[in-house]
Amino acid sequence: MAALLGEGVHPAPPRRFTTAHPIAYPVFEIPESIPLRGSSQEPGVMRTAQLALTALEEALLNAGWAATELADFNVGVCMGTTVGCTLNSEEFYREFRSGSQPDMAPVIRFLNSNPSQVIARSLEVTGPCQTVVNACSSGTDAIGIGASWIRAGLCDIVIAGGADELCRVTYNGFISLMITDDKACRPFDRRRKGLNLGEGAAVLLLESEKLVRHRKSPTQAILLGYGSAGDAHHLTAPDPQGRGLKRAIFSALEENHMLAGDIAFINAHGTGTPDNDRVESKVLHELFPGVPFYSTKGCTGHTLGAAGAIEAAFTIASLKTGVIPPSAGFEERDPELPAHPVEQKSTVPGRVALSQSLAFGGSNAVLIFGKE
Amino acid sequence: MILTVRIAINGIGVVGGFGCGVEDLRRRLQAADLADGARVSEKGDLFPGILGFCAGTTRLGSFVPKRALRRLDHFVRMAVLGGYLAIEDAGFPIDGSEKVGVVVATGYGAAQATFSFLDTVIDDGDACASPTFFASSVHNAAAAYISLLTRAAGPTITVSQFEMSIPAGLLTASRLLEEKKADIVLCGGVDEICPVLGYCWNRFFPVTQRVAIRPLELNRQSAVPGEGAAFFLLSRAGSESPKYGMITGIALGKLGKGEGSVPLNTGMPFFLGLDGKESCSRLYASHIPEGTRVAAYAQNYGSLPVGPAFDMAVAAISLKDGRVYGVPQDAGDHPPWHIIREEQPLGASSVCCVKFDCHGNFGIITLTR
Repeated sequence: MAALLGEGVHPAPPRRFTTAHPIAYPVFEIPESIPLRGSSQEPGVMRTAQLALTALEEALLNAGWAATELADFNVGVCMGTTVGCTLNSEEFYREFRSGSQPDMAPVIRFLNSNPSQVIARSLEVTGPCQTVVNACSSGTDAIGIGASWIRAGLCDIVIAGGADELCRVTYNGFISLMITDDKACRPFDRRRKGLNLGEGAAVLLLESEKLVRHRKSPTQAILLGYGSAGDAHHLTAPDPQGRGLKRAIFSALEENHMLAGDIAFINAHGTGTPDNDRVESKVLHELFPGVPFYSTKGCTGHTLGAAGAIEAAFTIASLKTGVIPPSAGFEERDPELPAHPVEQKSTVPGRVALSQSLAFGGSNAVLIFGKE
Repeated sequence: MILTVRIAINGIGVVGGFGCGVEDLRRRLQAADLADGARVSEKGDLFPGILGFCAGTTRLGSFVPKRALRRLDHFVRMAVLGGYLAIEDAGFPIDGSEKVGVVVATGYGAAQATFSFLDTVIDDGDACASPTFFASSVHNAAAAYISLLTRAAGPTITVSQFEMSIPAGLLTASRLLEEKKADIVLCGGVDEICPVLGYCWNRFFPVTQRVAIRPLELNRQSAVPGEGAAFFLLSRAGSESPKYGMITGIALGKLGKGEGSVPLNTGMPFFLGLDGKESCSRLYASHIPEGTRVAAYAQNYGSLPVGPAFDMAVAAISLKDGRVYGVPQDAGDHPPWHIIREEQPLGASSVCCVKFDCHGNFGIITLTR
């Protein structure tokens, strides 16, 4: 949050891998100075899983739980990812194509790295375990689905969130789609050209109402609503009218009989691609006129399956402090957009906020959080 | 913990090594023999020494215009065909509904699309990577195309949990229905065979000859890879009797350190997810009670992460037919169990499908007429 509210961080060409692109498209990599806790616990797992374990450790600490205490409860794990469930080792595949017999280590690492299973294994919990692979809305969906397990009485606690690493496959892939900016991304800005990729993880520890009643310390927030809806429009482009996004928003609002007027601020998906930002601006203008919104991807990059979870955490943090960040990377209003993000750090009254994600495949997912 | 639900199964769509549609699967069950991998394979020559239960998707042409078909790879085609077959089998249209959800489960996702993408990177360089293959390599491509083509505009979710993908997907579908996020959910699983999988299979399960899966030979490695899709058109159960009965229980979890017990209801036949993988067989022997009536059917569709979807399709067909199909003698034996050898009356109102993986994860799905 300090980075969001302060001077921000800036993307740079990837350091962990090389590419042959004539332009070094900038990304948001996790600095090597930040140790990934998972690397010592589970050295044989992919970076995505290590990111998930690192976020898990922070979430447990923040929630005041010791990992050993969880064994007394029904604990489920629901995580979102994209790369974390993909066998995409280029080295392995190059060897395979050349007709040699590649070593199976990358395959074994992939099989050991399902983010939900890695977390369940590390905590020795035995409840339901599910990894959501809904592209860029995975983290949002994972939190919404995890919460439904608690409502169903399946779990007392659900560890939910998202994790994704940067890799050459996504780097080359997004550049091939021509939706990557060769400079720092500028969500909702008139000059926006596309996204910057990022990597990261966020974990929320969801607790049942019964557990919350017995808490000694206050909760961070209450999850009030989750909505999901498909565009049924196009594999990679959002519905220009934002019909799926609107239905996802209404579905989330409906869960606790909320109204659009209850929403104090919105964490938009805001990738910086022309299409995404156009649709979001239109929908936010229609449903939430005058409600402040921002994108954080100018500070994190697009972390794909982790994005929804990371932004859920940002939303909760802003709800707690009553302060929202300026929309990172935004400078110049786009006259073609009907609504514009906040330009300054702002104080917002209100107790309810919304975070939304749009994904490849036309998936839209929305979370609504409230503070006690 | 078993989640008790009442989810109606209105239609089934299956495509796999046995053929296409419920009738093809039923015929295979009635034959009650060990399907010869060589006989059912269309892609066996892709992987020297490996035969697979491969799926054909020519019937998709009767549902999807040719122009749209050109964009779909094999993984997506299987899923879309499974979805359309389930809709056709249910006999009611879903076109354009905002309350129709799609839940797709997959063990390995669109693996071949990822490798095709890597082919373009390796052959032509980073700057010439294929955007088409990249877009198709996203795990939720199949769900996206089902949603796009059927105009199902409710929640669209894809989950990936290896062998537990199907119980996980069903759990999600059941929550969408129970919480009224959707009125109908097209839920199913899809996995494909590709050359890299064939190589991995050879390395992990090195055998010199593999002809048929013998699922009940618990101490023998006999798994043959399979591919295909199995989809179900689900809704909240009402007062009418659903075509294939209901899903009444879902359990998804992991055995604890001391293994403990799994939440099994007794008094019904168990369809076991045994698929010839020796390393996963031990847990069935430990946890399925002696004397239980059991059957296993992977010999008909192969070993694939979403195999439990096919087990569930067999269970639903059995409930509809009021009959349980036999497991051939040469599929193996495990004397403590009462193995269903001949086609016979079901003799129960419920069937329990059980899947263990080799790490102690389990998925249990109970279907009731």
